[in-house]
Amino acid sequence: MTQSAKPISSPVPDAWYPSLAVPMLAVGLVITASFFIYEATSSRKNRSLAKELVTGAAASFFLGFGSLFLLLASGVYV
Amino acid sequence: MSSFRFDLLLILVFAIHFAPGLSDLVISKLDRRIDLTSQIVRMTLTLKVENTGTDPVSEVSLTFPEHQANNLALLVAVSTKGKGKSRGSATNLPIKIKQPNDSPPSLIWYAASLPKELGKGESLNMDVLVVFTHMLRPFPEKITQAESQLFLFQESAHFTSPYNVKVQSLTVKLPSENVESYTKLENTKFSGSEIKYGPYENLPALSYSPVIIHFPSNTPFAVAKELVREIEISHWGNVQVTEHYNLIHGGAQSTGEFSRLDFQARPHLRGASAFRNLIAMLPPRAHSIYYRDAIGNISTSNIYGDSSKTLLEIEPRYPMFGGWKTSFTIGYGLPLQDYLFQLGGTRFLNITFGSPMNDVLVENLTLKVVLPEGSRDISVSVPFPVKQSQETKFSHLDIAGRPTVVVEKINVVPEHNQYFQVHYKFSNLSLLTEPLMLICGFFSLFVACIIYMHADFTISKSSSSYLAKLQWDEVQGTIQQLQDIINRCLLIHDKLEASLRELSRNGDVQACKAVRKSADGLLKDFSKESKPLLAILQSSPQAAHILPKVEELMFNRHRWKQRGPLLFGHRNLLE
Repeated sequence: MTQSAKPISSPVPDAWYPSLAVPMLAVGLVITASFFIYEATSSRKNRSLAKELVTGAAASFFLGFGSLFLLLASGVYV
Repeated sequence: MSSFRFDLLLILVFAIHFAPGLSDLVISKLDRRIDLTSQIVRMTLTLKVENTGTDPVSEVSLTFPEHQANNLALLVAVSTKGKGKSRGSATNLPIKIKQPNDSPPSLIWYAASLPKELGKGESLNMDVLVVFTHMLRPFPEKITQAESQLFLFQESAHFTSPYNVKVQSLTVKLPSENVESYTKLENTKFSGSEIKYGPYENLPALSYSPVIIHFPSNTPFAVAKELVREIEISHWGNVQVTEHYNLIHGGAQSTGEFSRLDFQARPHLRGASAFRNLIAMLPPRAHSIYYRDAIGNISTSNIYGDSSKTLLEIEPRYPMFGGWKTSFTIGYGLPLQDYLFQLGGTRFLNITFGSPMNDVLVENLTLKVVLPEGSRDISVSVPFPVKQSQETKFSHLDIAGRPTVVVEKINVVPEHNQYFQVHYKFSNLSLLTEPLMLICGFFSLFVACIIYMHADFTISKSSSSYLAKLQWDEVQGTIQQLQDIINRCLLIHDKLEASLRELSRNGDVQACKAVRKSADGLLKDFSKESKPLLAILQSSPQAAHILPKVEELMFNRHRWKQRGPLLFGHRNLLE
């Protein structure tokens, strides 16, 4: 071969999977908790849709990546 | 047996009429070694071809009788220039099945194309490896547990070559030093575990001299009737290989009863024909190896791993006697960087084709390579002819399914366990669709929650309980806003106190006065804001019990406001 073939590996090193999964899930769950606390304590008049959507988006981002790394760390290579 | 002989007679008849029509190649030396030590028969031919004619020759033909050619699994020919110390590099010759029109139908021709034409008077050394399957016939066909297996092997002492052979010899290697019977021709010698026929000189083309060898063999005859090998690639760092085996013992059939007691007490006398374990050579750094079947996990297995290989030794649930079947699944994971490479814009997978098990003949091999979703321009390159097709597999987090390449081959022997490549294109951005799908899933849950909290699902909008609930909500909202205002007031007071302390420290009256002015303004705004809120509270019947507390709070604050300037003025007087 004129050019040598480079081996391909994962964009995130394998050994980091468990140590990425736990903090991301923890942060995601904390933001979920704050979302639900806001829902429960705010009254109909004072609720702001923007704040709800932003909190929900941030929580789902961290929960999504956290659950992906959790799946990879437990051996289900999706 | 008689029809077999008739075919050969036909060949002999044609040989006499056919020989002059060929090119003038002559095989000056031919050494054949036939290895009968396992169920797969391997024949190695070392020949020296000479061009005694005038025309240059570009291919050398090898012929095999039809009954052998039907069982031919692999034919590899290598040519080397020079001999002994000055051996040149070996080149693999491409082989084609080329049947001349006037050949008898029971003779199959294989043409090996030479890289460079063989000129007049030149000679060439060739090494040919031919692998045959199902060539050993058990005779007797049914044995009991105590007997050992005997096999019949039929061959010709003279190699049926389309060219004249000057000198040839045949050596047959048996698995043990015993032999039941063998055809004794001239120049036959049996020593150790080898029978040597030859050397025979100056034989015409397509000559045939049948030889039958009847010998005992108790080497394991593991035949996989069907092997489905699935290789799944995940770009997150893993190649998962799953192999489903349908194994049968392909030797002499076992009749009569099976006595477990006899087998365990004296396995060499009662059960010599059975095999207990299978050894598989897995690649190094294989992890998460499992061995299970339809019942569940099979624990009789061992793994010995080192830096060059991982040796897996498995024991089926029962010993395998002739005709007995078993089926199981083996799976293991491999690190991605050992098998997936990038070359230019395409990626390719470089992995072995056949089964990793030692000396197992696979009758039907189906190899499935499952590529990640979003792979395009898929192509497979295998070093030998196979049947290819494509399908789709749905697995974790899939939208459209994963493209799968299915490669099928019949009669796969361990020599077929070579590397093959699958080329495809994949952009790293497509990796992000998987976490994106998870994020969207979670976000839809949150959106559903928001919709539930915002939507009003009561049926009757004028019932008293509904109206009471609305008023309660309003009161709660008003109180929260008042709370907000009071908190902000407290912040202002804190700021004032801080400025007073600053004043006592550095005596800057002007800054203090400025803070006081802004604080005054803000407090006035607050009292303006709280007035309508108080009005709502007063008008609402739900707020009856909380209203006095709120009014007390407001009064207290008002009093502080009045007293505050006094305190402040006091300080000013001090300056």
